[in-house]
Amino acid sequence: YLCYFLHRLLDFRRPEFESVAELAGCTQDQLRWRMPAGDLEHSPFWYVTLPSEETAKSIGQRALLTKMMVEVWGEGSTWEELEAALQAYPAEAMAPWVGPEHTFKVVVDAFGSKLTMDDQLDLIEKLEFLPFKVCVCVRVLQDHFAILSHPEGDNTGVLVWYLQPHCFPSPQVAAADRGVLESYSLKRRLYLGPTSMDAEIAFIMCNQAKVKRGQLMLDPYAGTGSILVAAAHYGAKVMGTDIDIKVLREGKPGPGGPGSATERVCIGSNFTQYGLPQPVGLIRLDTHKHPLRPDLQEVLHAVIGDPPYGVRAGGKKSGAKPEIADRRNPITDPSTHIPATQPYTLGECLRDLLDLSARLLVVGGRLVYFLPATPETYCEEEVPGHPALRLVANSEQILTMRYSRRLVTMEKV
Amino acid sequence: MKLLTHNMLSCHIKNVRNGYPFLIEVVKVSEHEADFDPGKLLVRAANHFLKHIFPRINWPAFLQGAQSLGCREGLPEEAAESMLEDEGFLKRFHHALLEVFLEEGSLVCPETGRKFPVTKGIPNMLLNEDEC
Repeated sequence: YLCYFLHRLLDFRRPEFESVAELAGCTQDQLRWRMPAGDLEHSPFWYVTLPSEETAKSIGQRALLTKMMVEVWGEGSTWEELEAALQAYPAEAMAPWVGPEHTFKVVVDAFGSKLTMDDQLDLIEKLEFLPFKVCVCVRVLQDHFAILSHPEGDNTGVLVWYLQPHCFPSPQVAAADRGVLESYSLKRRLYLGPTSMDAEIAFIMCNQAKVKRGQLMLDPYAGTGSILVAAAHYGAKVMGTDIDIKVLREGKPGPGGPGSATERVCIGSNFTQYGLPQPVGLIRLDTHKHPLRPDLQEVLHAVIGDPPYGVRAGGKKSGAKPEIADRRNPITDPSTHIPATQPYTLGECLRDLLDLSARLLVVGGRLVYFLPATPETYCEEEVPGHPALRLVANSEQILTMRYSRRLVTMEKV
Repeated sequence: MKLLTHNMLSCHIKNVRNGYPFLIEVVKVSEHEADFDPGKLLVRAANHFLKHIFPRINWPAFLQGAQSLGCREGLPEEAAESMLEDEGFLKRFHHALLEVFLEEGSLVCPETGRKFPVTKGIPNMLLNEDEC
């Protein structure tokens, strides 16, 4: 197949595709990538070998960064080459799609530029030699054929693929898929905080973690619950913990005003808003000194989180800072005492996260988290390792000129 | 707080040895229907949540918690994996584990008596400075 990616979050696209493929039952040896012509690492077009059309369909339904997958019938850098390639394509392989009972539509999509309607029609007319029996029917669209053109440099060399439908999500399916993001858009989310995770990223994180129905997932830095919402959408039972009791329990005033149903909004409101089952557990705890029973292990399928690394919200752990510990009033009434917290360095935080995940994940379960980085000085050694966790993917998302973050995916072995 | 959470928590105050399970002080309990994924086929499937979680539950602690929250009835003293074939058992297990909810109350450390408050269903497990 030819896989046509969205041209965004470039580094995330193939890892997401691979994770979703595994969810669809495809093993690692069954999936093979081949770089497109031009050898561009970040090309939106990649060839991929998959075990079946079924697999391709399931991947198309879940992956968020894959625009479409198509079967390649022929390609060429000039129209003559393309025509020759298409003529050479076995007629019997084409037959199921070109019979009189089939309606079709040709979609022209040019990556990196827009073609006018006339140009598109020109391209379509050039395909007239193909043995389609029915004229274009726009209303009943069963099959979509696409021409993808990839202008290289000065637009002269045009790479064209001719494709066959049914093996990529029909536009309805694909649209519904990105539509998930539209319906979960933060713009209309009831309960938000300054570090709420963007819906697209939260869903991609869940795809990386291979979240599915019947699983138990934990976000140790739940905040306003954005990642929990995405995991619940995919059917997992979700648990969230956070050291900040206000964000977890109190929520904030909602849009409804006093006396209305949305007078206050909290994590629960976000689940109600989308008709999702509530989290199975929300706990205020400190991941550095957590209260999980010592013999608890291999209980989670996924740990997904965005550790606090101090750009917008710094990490905190229990205990007073040494310099203020002596000055604090002695604890007279433990029931009203507000426990002190002290800064929690990223290194410590990650060590705790990896240790906890290594212990609590089932074998094959995944840890997915963000690691801050500065692209200029980044080196692979910055990604912490753990003997029980295998690094699966490490994708960069550029944030500004100086900062990026890396989505790290690890699997319990 | 559901019993699923209760089952996972133990008192982590420094030097506490017998901090499990927490005793539950109840002020308010509510019930919310949780998705049961009905149908024997699903329950028998290896990837069903109840099948996954059952062997990871500390059963005596679960019974004790269920007693406190008033949903102990019908749960056997001893539990074995074979019971997962019985839909009646599954329903009661599912109900006590995921549908009964402690809204207000406390988790009490069995050794020290330290109370961790549960407010709006969320246990506050943060330690004071002198406890960590």
